[in-house]
Amino acid sequence: MISDIFTMSLDALRSRKIRTFLTLLGVIIGTGSVIIVATAGNSLKVYIKEQWNFFDPTGIIIGVGTNSKPPQITFTEKVFTDADVKKIEGLPHIKGVAPVGIIAFKKVMMKEGFLKWQTKQGGTMWASTPELLKVLDLKLVSGEIFHEGKNEVLISEGTAQMFGKDTSLSVGDTLYVQQITGRILKAKIVGIYNSSSESNILSKLTVPAMIGPVDPYYTTFFGSNVGGLLRKVTAYTILYAAAVDTESVNKAQVEILEYLNGASDANKYKDEKTDFVFITQEYIQERIEQILSVVNMFITAIAVVSLIVGGIGIANIMFATVTERTREIGTMMAIGAKRRIIMQLFLYQSAIIGLLGGILGCIIGASGGAFIIQILGNYVQELGFSTSSAHLPLIYPMEWFVIATISGLLIGILAGVIPARKAAKMDPVVALRHE
Amino acid sequence: MTDEYAIEVRSVTKVYQSGKGEFRALHNVSLQIKKGEFVALMGRSGSGKSTLMNILGCLDRPSSGDVLLDRENLSRLTDGQLAEVRGKKIGFIFQTFNLVPTLNALKNVVLPMIFVGVPKASREHRALELLRRMGIENWATHLPSELSGGQQQRVSIARALSNNPTIILADEPTGNLDSKTGEKVMEFLSMINKEGKTILLVTHDPLLTRYTTRTIYLKDGEVSDRP
Ligand SMILES: Nc1ncnc2c1ncn2[C@@H]1O[C@H](COP(=O)(O)OP(=O)(O)OP(=O)(O)O)[C@@H](O)[C@H]1O
Ligand SMILES: [Mg+2]
Repeated sequence: MISDIFTMSLDALRSRKIRTFLTLLGVIIGTGSVIIVATAGNSLKVYIKEQWNFFDPTGIIIGVGTNSKPPQITFTEKVFTDADVKKIEGLPHIKGVAPVGIIAFKKVMMKEGFLKWQTKQGGTMWASTPELLKVLDLKLVSGEIFHEGKNEVLISEGTAQMFGKDTSLSVGDTLYVQQITGRILKAKIVGIYNSSSESNILSKLTVPAMIGPVDPYYTTFFGSNVGGLLRKVTAYTILYAAAVDTESVNKAQVEILEYLNGASDANKYKDEKTDFVFITQEYIQERIEQILSVVNMFITAIAVVSLIVGGIGIANIMFATVTERTREIGTMMAIGAKRRIIMQLFLYQSAIIGLLGGILGCIIGASGGAFIIQILGNYVQELGFSTSSAHLPLIYPMEWFVIATISGLLIGILAGVIPARKAAKMDPVVALRHE
Repeated sequence: MTDEYAIEVRSVTKVYQSGKGEFRALHNVSLQIKKGEFVALMGRSGSGKSTLMNILGCLDRPSSGDVLLDRENLSRLTDGQLAEVRGKKIGFIFQTFNLVPTLNALKNVVLPMIFVGVPKASREHRALELLRRMGIENWATHLPSELSGGQQQRVSIARALSNNPTIILADEPTGNLDSKTGEKVMEFLSMINKEGKTILLVTHDPLLTRYTTRTIYLKDGEVSDRP
C-alpha cells in the first residue's frame, strides 16, 4: 500500500518533469552551496592546522603589546635586556631563551663581478644568539653558526633563493644590507638553515629571513626613559623561550610573567600603557579555533538560508500542484482514498524532491568544492603564504554531506506538510466541482 | 423484504447554507433501488440530481433523513468509514471521466483496489480482465490524454467495477460524448447491468431510458413519478 502510494508520487513527479526539475534545482543549489562552502572551510581548517603543527609546542614568544583578545605584539618596542634573558633562563621550567632584536632593512644588495649590483627588497633580520636555532628548531644545512662580534649571518633556504635560482646564495657570499636608517651593514653568509615550517602561513614569526649576532648588528641606546642615566644598553624586541616540556608551558609562562612584572629591566623600560604578551601553541590553536568557528557559523548561516529558500520553493510548488490537482483529489476521494492517503501522496512528492535535491546537491557540491579548492590553492600560493611543497588539500566534510541529505529530506517533508494537509482536508464534493 | 434493496433513501432533506440564506436542494426524498435495477434519474437542471447522487455516493451527508446502503445506515459512519464504503460499495462514473492524468489506463483501474487494500498479485490481473470486458485491453498502458472520450469513459466504467461495488452511480456519463459514442457507453452499462450490476444513471436524454428498467423524476428537490 505504502509502496503503491510512493510509486504514484513518483509517477506524478515524473509526469511534470520541468516543474519537478525546477523545484529540485532550488534544493540542489541550496545544499550544493552548503557543501561547497563546507568543503572549502574544512580543507582550509585542515590546512591551517597542519601549518601550525610546525610551531614548537614548548615554545613561548614573549613581547610587549596589548593583552587584548587576541593579544597584539608591537614589534617596535625594545625592552628586554641581557639581564632579563639571564634571569628568565634561570627559571625552573625554562629550557632556553633566545633574545631577538629585529632589524628592518630596506634592501639587500649583492656584488656581482666588480661593479654590477643586484638589489632585492628588504625584510627583517633577527639579531640573536645561537640559542635561537634550538628554540625555533632550525637546522643548519650547510656552513656553521655565526660568531659574536663578527659580521656574519645565517640565512634561510628561502632567502638563499632571493636573487633567483640561477644566482642562489651560498656560504661565503657577502651581502650588503641597507637598514631603514640608511646605514649599510656588511654580512658574510656563514650558514644556511632550513626549517620544516618555512611553508608556514605565519612563518614570519617562526622563520626569520636572516639571523645575525647581536654584536655588531644590534645595539640600542637608552637614555631618556631610564631616569636620565646615559648608559649603553642592549634591549630586545621579543624573546623566544622554550619550556622544559609541553606540560610546563603554562607554568613557565606564569613564572616569566611574575618575573617580568617584578624587578625586571623590561618592566622599567616598557611603556606603562603596554602589557607583556605571550604567544604559545595553545594560544595559536585557540585563535585558529576562533577563526574556524566563524567559518562554521558562516556555513551554518548559508545552510539555514538556503534550506529555507529551498523549502519555500517546494512549498510554493506543492501549493500550486495541489490547487491544480483539486479535481483529481476529489476523484481519488470518490473512489475510496482516505484523507491519510491523499496526505501521503503529496508528502511523498515533496519528501522525494527534498531528498533527491539533497543528494544531487551533495554530488554537485562535491565537484564544486573540488573546483573551489583548486582555485583557492592557486590563490594561496600566489599570495606567497605557502611554498610549492605545501598545497591546499581537498578534504570533504563528511558530516556536512549527512547533514545536507537529511536536511533536504526534512525540509521536503516540512514544506510539504501544509500543502498536503490542504489537499487532505478538501471537501470531495467541492473538489469534484473544481474546474 | 428490505434485503433486496441495494439502496434505500428515507426522508432525506438537504439544505445548503449560503450567504443569502438557506436553500433546500432536496426535500423529504424517499426512494428504493432494488438489486439488479438500472434506474434513470431525470429532472431539470438544478432539480437536485447531483446533490442526491453525492449523498448516495457517501461524498456528502444529508441534513436530515437516512440512507441505507446494503442495509447499512450511512448516517452513523465516520468520515473514514464513509471513504471505505465509497471504495468498496460504490462505483462512480463522471461526466468528465475524471481519470488520474498521470496514471495509465491500467493503473487507473488498479487505483480503487489499492485504496481498499486488494493484494498486489490479483489487482493487475483483475484490472486487465475488466479492460478486456470493456474492449480496451490494447490501451492499457496508454495515458488518459492518449485516449478518446469514449475510451476514457470505458476505462472509468472498468475502474468503477474494480471493487465489485453494490451500486454504480453514473452522473451524466454521456454528457461529454457525441450521441454515437454515448450510445456505445450506454451499451456497456446495459451489458454490466445484465450481468447483475445495480446502476443509477443521471441523464437529460429521454432516449437513453430505453436502456434502463425504471425512471425516477426529481422536481425542485422532490421525487415524482411523472416528468
Ligand atoms: N454547495 C452548494 N451550496 C448552495 N447551493 C447548492 C450547492 N450545491 C448545489 N446547490 C444548489 O442546489 C440545487 C441543486 O443542484 P444540483 O447540482 O443537485 O442540480 P442538478 O439536478 O444536478 O443540475 P444539473 O442537471 O444542472 O447538473 C441547485 O439550485 C444548486 O444551485
Ligand atoms: Mg448535476
